Order: sequence, then C-alpha cells, then structure tokens
Amino acid sequence: MPDNIYLPELARIAYIKDEVYGERAIKTFRVEPVDGELFEHDCGQCAMLSIFGRGESMISIASSPLIREYKQFSIMRVGRVSSAFHDLAVGDVIGLRGPYGNSFPVDDWRGKNLYFIGGGCGLAPIWPVITTAVAQRANFKNITVFYGGRTSRDIMYRAELEKLRESVDVHLSIDKAEEGWNEYCGFVPAAVMDKDPVPDNAIAITCGPPIMIKFVIQNLNKLGFKDEQIYTTIENKMKCGLGKCGRCNVGKDYVCVKGPVYSWAVLKNLPEEY
Amino acid sequence: MEKILNKKHIDDWIAALDSWDILGPVLEDGIWAYQPVSGAVRLDHPNTRQSPKGLAFPQREIFFKFEQIKGEAPRLTQVVPDEQRHAVFGVRPCDGRGVPRMDLVFTDHVEDNYYQARRKNVAYVGLACNKPPGPNCFCLSVGGSPVSTDGLDVQMTDLGDRYFVKAVTETGKGLMTAAGKLFAEPSAADQKQVEQVHADAVAHPQRAVRNVEAVPAKLKASFKSPLWQELARACIGCGICTFLCPTCHCFDINDEVQSKAPLKGIRVRTWDNCQFPDFTMHSSGHNPRENTGARLRQRVAHKFQYFPENFGMPQCTGCGRCVSECPVGIDIVAVVNKVVENAG
Ligand SMILES: Cc1cc2nc3c(=O)[nH]c(=O)nc-3n(C[C@H](O)[C@H](O)[C@H](O)COP(=O)(O)OP(=O)(O)OC[C@H]3O[C@@H](n4cnc5c(N)ncnc54)[C@H](O)[C@@H]3O)c2cc1C
Ligand code: SF4
Ligand code: SF4
Ligand code: FES
Repeated sequence: MPDNIYLPELARIAYIKDEVYGERAIKTFRVEPVDGELFEHDCGQCAMLSIFGRGESMISIASSPLIREYKQFSIMRVGRVSSAFHDLAVGDVIGLRGPYGNSFPVDDWRGKNLYFIGGGCGLAPIWPVITTAVAQRANFKNITVFYGGRTSRDIMYRAELEKLRESVDVHLSIDKAEEGWNEYCGFVPAAVMDKDPVPDNAIAITCGPPIMIKFVIQNLNKLGFKDEQIYTTIENKMKCGLGKCGRCNVGKDYVCVKGPVYSWAVLKNLPEEY
Repeated sequence: MEKILNKKHIDDWIAALDSWDILGPVLEDGIWAYQPVSGAVRLDHPNTRQSPKGLAFPQREIFFKFEQIKGEAPRLTQVVPDEQRHAVFGVRPCDGRGVPRMDLVFTDHVEDNYYQARRKNVAYVGLACNKPPGPNCFCLSVGGSPVSTDGLDVQMTDLGDRYFVKAVTETGKGLMTAAGKLFAEPSAADQKQVEQVHADAVAHPQRAVRNVEAVPAKLKASFKSPLWQELARACIGCGICTFLCPTCHCFDINDEVQSKAPLKGIRVRTWDNCQFPDFTMHSSGHNPRENTGARLRQRVAHKFQYFPENFGMPQCTGCGRCVSECPVGIDIVAVVNKVVENAG
C-alpha cells in the first residue's frame, strides 16, 4: 500500500543529551533519516515516534523547520514508550511518522515583538519558533524568552539558552531560591510580571504545565495583552494523529488535526475539561 | 434497476456470485450474526447482535510486522488486507446508514488505507424492515427510515413469496446482473405492493429522539449539566454500547511482541471506546473525562452534537443496540430527550 498513513519511516538516533535528571528526567534526541529525507514540518507540529515492540508516542518537533538534516525531540520519561527512549543509544533506529497538527502562524508575526513564556518540559514545543525567529532575526522586533524550572537542575536547553542571550533577552527563573542562582526566584507567571512586558505590537507564546499557562494568561491579560495576542498549546492523549482514533477531541475538533496550537481567543471559548 | 426474485431462487443468485464471499444472518446460540453462507440464506432475522461494520473496520487490524536482530535496523513489513470481495446479505437500513458515516470518518482529512482497502471490496445487500419495529428502534427520528437505501448497494423488500430487488449503486447493479436470468421484471401489481409495504413500514409507531435538529444546540448548552453524572451513575464502563454501535470508530494502536530476541511482533489496531476510563487518561494519571458522566456526555454529544456540527447529520442511525444491550439500562433516547428537556 503506497502512502500507508500508519507505517512509520525509519530514523537513526544521531545525538542524545541528558537535559534533566531525576524523577522527571528529560533527554533530547536528534534523529536522521535512514534512507532519503525526513518529512518537512512547520513550527509547533508534532510527530509520532515509535519504538518497535513498545509502541508510539506523540512528541513535539523541537527543531526549527529550517534545519533539514535532523529533527530534534525532547522526551520526558513517564511511561512505556518514553522510558524505552531513555534507554536508547546513538545509532539505534526508531520509527517516525508525521508531521501532525497545525502550527504557530510565525509568518503573520513579522515586525512584531515576541514574548516566549515556557515552563518545565514546555520549552520544547516553542523551541522551533524561538530558533526560527532568531535565525530570521531581522523579521522581528524585540524577542524575549522567559523560562522557568522547578529547580536549577530542571532547566533544559541550558547551554542553548546561554547562547541565545547573544541575540535576544533571556530571563530564567526557578521556583525557590538556591545558592548561586542570581536570576529570578518564583513561579513563571510572577517572573513575567516582574519584567512588565508591553502588549503594543506584541505576541505572547506560552507553553508549560496547565496551571502555569492559566496564570501566565491571567497575568498577560492584566498587562493589557488581548486574547488574540496570546498563543498556547494543548496536550490530549493521542494514538493516531489523524483525526480517526477518536480520543483527542475538544468538542467537535480533534486536537491532533485542529491543534495543538490555539490562540487564547479561540481556546478560552472551549470547555476546560472535555 | 428494479426486479422481482422468487424466494426459491435466492440460493441460485448467491451461487451465481461465485467471485464473492457471501455473508448472511445466522442464528447461533440465540444470537444473530453475519457469517459466511454458501447455500441457503435466511432473511428472517430481526437484526444481528453486531452491525456489519467489522467488514470494513475489523475489531483487529494488523498494520505491519516488525523484526529486529540486535544491533541492526528494524525491518517493517506492511500487512495489506486481502482483495477478496464480500457481499453481506440482510443488512437492515439503520446499519446501511452506518456505512456512509464510517466512510466520512475514514476519508475526512486523510484517507485511512486499511479501511479503504476493505471498504471497496464490500457490498451491502439490504433488507427493508416491513415488520413492526423492535422495541428500541428509533431510525425515523434520526433522519432514517425502515426502508432507507442510504449506504446500501442493493435493497430487497420481502413481498411474501418473492423479493422486490432494487439496485442502489453500480456495485449493486453488478450483483444483480451476475444472475440476470433469475430475476423477472416487476409488474404494475408488484410496484404497487412494494409501495404499500414501504408506506406501512414507515407508518409503524417507533420510539423517538424528539426534534433532532434542535438537539446539537441544546446539548452544547448542557455541557455542564449535573444530569450527565446522574444519568450515568450506573454505568460500569463495559463499552458494549460502542462496540455494538454501527458508527463508533474509535480505536487503539498497540505493539504485540511475539519474540524478544530476535525482536518480532506486530502493530495492531483494535476497537477502543470512550466509555473506558483510560481512553483519555494521561500518563500522569490526570483524566480530562474523570467520571462516567463525562464519558456518557462524550458518547451522546459525539452522536448528536459534534458529528452534526462537522458533517451536518447525526452520527446515530437509531438501531437501538446500545439501548437493548446495556447491562444497566442506560438508554440513549431517554438521555437525549431528558437532557434536551432540561436545557429549557
Ligand atoms: C501534541 C502533543 C505533544 C507532546 N509533546 C511532548 C514532548 O515534546 N515531549 C514529551 O516528553 N512529551 C510530549 N507529549 C506527551 C507524550 O505524548 C506522552 O507523555 C507519551 O505519549 C507517554 O507515553 P508513554 O508510553 O511513555 O506513557 P504510558 O503512560 O505508558 O502511555 C501509554 C500510551 O498512552 C498515550 N499517552 C499517555 N499520556 C499521553 C499524553 N499526555 N499525551 C499523549 N498521549 C499520551 C500514548 O499513546 C502512549 O502510547 C506530547 C503530547 C501531545 C499530545
Ligand atoms: S467517541 Fe465514543 S461515541 Fe464517539 S465514535 Fe468513539 S466510541 Fe463511539
Ligand atoms: S453499555 Fe451501558 S454500562 Fe456499558 S459502557 Fe455503555 S452505557 Fe456504560
Ligand atoms: S489522536 Fe487519534 S483522533 Fe486525534
């Protein structure tokens, strides 16, 4: 059957990095095609990753679409498939199908100030937007990244974030004070308020734990950001990615097709638990 | 194409369809099921326990085999559905109307290769309902009818000692021309009789979902209604309602390992459903549909709100299986009417 929508292509792990250790460990993987080229994607889209014998998981593509040589994924160890990923070594071969879902309308944001607000594992889904915007720096005005982890050991992409400081404003935060930490201490929503972002000609993109997103959006609204200026993503359990297995819907829409990216103007009218 | 088939010739018709595998309703241990038949086809069943949806969407579908020798790349081999054609006889109109609804799901956005590969090789030979409806039939109230041809390739109507046989699609015409000489031209009296039988069938009183066009808006307004949990309290989450439903399409995808070293196994799609708690449960244990009320709401709203919003028609075809077979008596007709009534 040509174009079998359920048949993954094979990809080889070319790079593995431990981002976060401990109970909520996160590893970053870069995969390269075994044959030919991998599919193209847009910022915010996801892919179904397979470990044969274990199953599939939906994971955000964390690399910029401008990078054609590899695709990057950052995976938290939580269950059957994600744990198997944490046991892989460079050279191992996995399955990949996609890309799935909609994307951030990055082209519509030319000439604007961009605020990225991430927490925990939520940096991965917005990382392609950040790195694409930085690669096309001249197309955007100010770019500001807020990112927080529970502790300094929960900060992912640490080296990349330091490098990012060369071209954009980066504000890191951790929940509680630690020795040797000279940036913000407190939750991400408060870290944002601390810097008073200005809503004029701006877009705010936020991703992270649902409770963080909720308060970030409340605070952005307080600062004068309109609902249409705020973008976020939602994560529902997924199996197919194709709008057929029936489990990821919010109301009439399947998030795997119509999401995972939503403007708050759209999302706030949908029920919270569906 | 409209013809008359003497009842004693039905087995000859089936014999003439030698390139098709024929399925018909068979009574076994008190349960009607579509099973392969070679000789006699009996078309006097009320309806089968399971709809014929499994012909295009089997309960288990193997997508591919995987094999991996340690240190080497995995090898994947697609499993492609076989090309054998199936004609299923005795399909009731409610189940016929399930077919275009499943087609919509499996072709919307992208085509599902496995569904399409099977679907194109299935012909649905329907049987109009001319007896009084079962106690839980409600097809008329959801846009159907005991004599609907929607989704069927052929419609047969029982006229006593003979069938009135009508081709609905080109495939249906093909099935009929395969045994051309067995069929006779209908007389004016046959035409008159079939019209009368159909008119009588439609006139039988049935249960009803009231005012189905108004239901989507009312359900939307009732999302937070406490009625959902009240009406679903007895649900044991067995999933029978959805497994028996001619339009439920939800599935799971899993790997089954047959050997560990070398690794050998299959990736399989199996029916799944929204009445199971883990259907939407995240790895963290968080479940957006945390109780039976939220899950009943999903099932009812999918049939009567979301599907109509997406495709302009209710997904439910009124077969009544979920009502008859629910072990705790949860009744979708009563639930919809009650929630709608309470929405004011
Ligand atoms: C759009 C989207 C983007 C995501 N991006 C990332 C990412 O970049 N990094 C990351 O670490 N995780 C991400 N996730 C979550 C990730 O998909 C789940 O953590 C993962 O599927 C769990 O699988 P498991 O086998 O390890 O866990 P198990 O608990 O063993 O899961 C069994 C099955 O349940 C399903 N499942 C369970 N929880 C989820 C969930 N929260 N979301 C989707 N499917 C689930 C999977 O299909 C999985 O095969 C994303 C989820 C979605 C929906
Ligand atoms: S969501 Fe529920 S009601 Fe809808 S098709 Fe799936 S199992 Fe059936
Ligand atoms: S058949 Fe009845 S008890 Fe079983 S899941 Fe459906 S509503 Fe619940
Ligand atoms: S993941 Fe299957 S419908 Fe969205």
